[in-house]
Amino acid sequence: MIIDINFVGLIIASIMASAVPLILASCGELITERSGVLNLGVEGMMIIGAISGFALMTVTGSLIIAVFGAMLAGVLISTIFAFLTQTLITNHVATGLALTIFGIGISAMIGKNFVGIPGKEFPVLFESLKDTIPLLSPILFGHSIVFYFAFALPFITSYFLKKTKIGLIVRAVGDSPESASNQGINVKLVRYACILYGGAMCGLAGAYLSMIYTPQWIENMTGGRGWIALALVVFSTWNPIKILIGAMIFGGLTIIQFHMQAIGVRIPVQFLTALPYVVTIIVLVVISRDSRKIRLSTPSSLGKSFYKDN
Amino acid sequence: MNTNLKISNVTKIYPGCVANDNVSLEFNSGKIYALLGENGAGKSTLVKILSGVIMPDEGKIYLNENNLKLNSPLDAKKNDIGMVFQHFNLFETLSVFENLIIDSDEQREGLREKIDSIMRKYNFSIDLDIPVLNLSAGQKQKVEIIRCLIRSPKVLIMDEPTSVLTEQETNELFLSLKKFSEEGILIIYITHKLKEVMELCDEVAVMRRGKLVSVSEIKNENIESLANKMVGQNLKTIKKKKEKTSSDQLINITNLNFISEDPFETNLNDINFSVNRGECLGIAGISGNGQSELFQVLSGEIISDKNSIEFNKNYIGDLNPQERREYLMAFSPEDRLEQAAIPQMAIFENVALNNFKSSNFFNNGLINENKIKEHSKKIISDFNVNTDNIELKSQFLSGGNLQKLIIGRELITSPDLLICFNPTWGLDVGAINYIHETLIKINEQNKSIILISTDTDELLKLSDKISVIHKGKLSKIMEADEVTSEKLGILMGGGN
Repeated sequence: MIIDINFVGLIIASIMASAVPLILASCGELITERSGVLNLGVEGMMIIGAISGFALMTVTGSLIIAVFGAMLAGVLISTIFAFLTQTLITNHVATGLALTIFGIGISAMIGKNFVGIPGKEFPVLFESLKDTIPLLSPILFGHSIVFYFAFALPFITSYFLKKTKIGLIVRAVGDSPESASNQGINVKLVRYACILYGGAMCGLAGAYLSMIYTPQWIENMTGGRGWIALALVVFSTWNPIKILIGAMIFGGLTIIQFHMQAIGVRIPVQFLTALPYVVTIIVLVVISRDSRKIRLSTPSSLGKSFYKDN
Repeated sequence: MNTNLKISNVTKIYPGCVANDNVSLEFNSGKIYALLGENGAGKSTLVKILSGVIMPDEGKIYLNENNLKLNSPLDAKKNDIGMVFQHFNLFETLSVFENLIIDSDEQREGLREKIDSIMRKYNFSIDLDIPVLNLSAGQKQKVEIIRCLIRSPKVLIMDEPTSVLTEQETNELFLSLKKFSEEGILIIYITHKLKEVMELCDEVAVMRRGKLVSVSEIKNENIESLANKMVGQNLKTIKKKKEKTSSDQLINITNLNFISEDPFETNLNDINFSVNRGECLGIAGISGNGQSELFQVLSGEIISDKNSIEFNKNYIGDLNPQERREYLMAFSPEDRLEQAAIPQMAIFENVALNNFKSSNFFNNGLINENKIKEHSKKIISDFNVNTDNIELKSQFLSGGNLQKLIIGRELITSPDLLICFNPTWGLDVGAINYIHETLIKINEQNKSIILISTDTDELLKLSDKISVIHKGKLSKIMEADEVTSEKLGILMGGGN
């Protein structure tokens, strides 16, 4: 059997494409969680981003407005979460779950008028270079700008957290909001900003799904990717580079098991569908075993409300 | 340049308690001021107001005649008021350097140089690139002090700074503080330790139950007069009766080693000692020399070789703390709120955590709440814990009351051996006196104590035998009447 080397390249590219929404949402949620806020509304924010992006694209015809509109929609819905958890000091878990349910519901309502409408073609970069290098060309060239951004994001996030002052402040707030507050850091402001940033990234992840990955609107089209993104953050032990690895494994196994089903491998379908979830978690747990590193990267105040007493 | 800080008619009321009742004080640079009082006297509230953490209900603060509006800690910092809190305001998972750079406006390299020069000047030695959680309490304190010094403050407030330092470190700190004072920094020193007030300060303000009781010059005071002002009654001094102790061996440690995987912990190197019944063995040392590892190995938090610990003729080195309790050992760890008690749980629930087989706290998997509460009430009254509400969350107990509760919880089972680690750190005279009396009483009942402490005075007062731990190694065991604090100091520093 001869395997076309460019075909392998295409499979890898499709794996990477399926990892994009996971990377975007996870890296956004990672920043939120590093500040000590547990936002379980990732799925809801993604689906809001998906419908907003698609609807704006259809109505305005502008891809730029659609992409930024989707991010803004993510910001707006996460503002609700931020207001509830930071200003009204509600429980993070309950509020996040409510946010997901709310997002799925409202997106279905808005989306009614957009079912069956074909999407637009999203421009890709470096198209002319697509046939230059075997194997590598399909991987490197001919993707949307969001794709490139997603693969840069884990490194940007890692740099931001480790090397910048604001990144340090985010980690400090996640470690001990009381100490941060006593040091004169505005804990609420930092947490608001991190929640809103997380919302923007989830919105972008959703827009990628409905505008680039499968350019159409289908109800509930995020299909649990938000929950996978949340799991990636935890099992990567809040490490952006490990999120990238986890997202690639998950994307890879999802694509490969489709191919295996298509070829007709005699393994029960249910087992194949479950495979990506199981393997991703096992791999991430194995590569993050060092308990000392876990302690150092886990935000100690995760999910705990902070309020200043006077 | 002179600095003048004035507190004018400050009142702060919490539900059910007047923390500061119309307090007025004036401070001038060039002098070191002591603010003295028991836990709950209102000192902490007052310094929190000065550092902008909380706002007073009434009253004003003036710095050099300017009325300060301290709405946040940032305002205090901007007005050159530096504060070293008793409970560390550090970020445990960040490195020392990250902790220091976070509230500084300076560039990395410049700050590093500045920190290095401060550390050289005051003889601190701390690795800037390790996470704070790997530092000892003493080192954490130093990080806090450096953090203030970076900003060259006009006013420096120290809240119980020596509670985790050794005698030498304390002396060094005092020299530094005197130097700051000469350099024109106004120093306000909060403490319960009377000896330190006498040694360091020029003027002393005493607080009791939220009120300012007296302001006087140190030269007109002595330890007894201050203690009586602070407590509001006459304190008796306690002393241990030195008797011949039995030669009946209770615990025997042979060739105990502990090699840590964590490079920031101290390895224990061939520890050998034994304690007889009715005896108190004191273990001195500068914090971070293996005390916490030794405590963990003795308590069973770290399991060691079965034969290395012989207790009451049983080999128990491989047992966990719960199992060791069944053999009548009891433990009082250093960190009251992190290791000994669960702050968010009620007093009686914390009591129940230390369940032992004979306690009957649990029947068929159900909690026997009446039994536990009855038991808790007994502890509270037997050990003088100043509350009658056993449903109070333990985080709301003062340090002294919490320590009494913990010691009480451990002792009510009448164990043969109590192992305690810095049992009085951060406590006021009244509470320290009580704990010391209790420990002496244990020895009188022919029970034994292993007292790991960084407080040399405490060790000399309570121990029958003393050893010094340095870099994970134990010195030879000495009779307590034959050692002096100077000799201990030399051994603690690694000398002979």
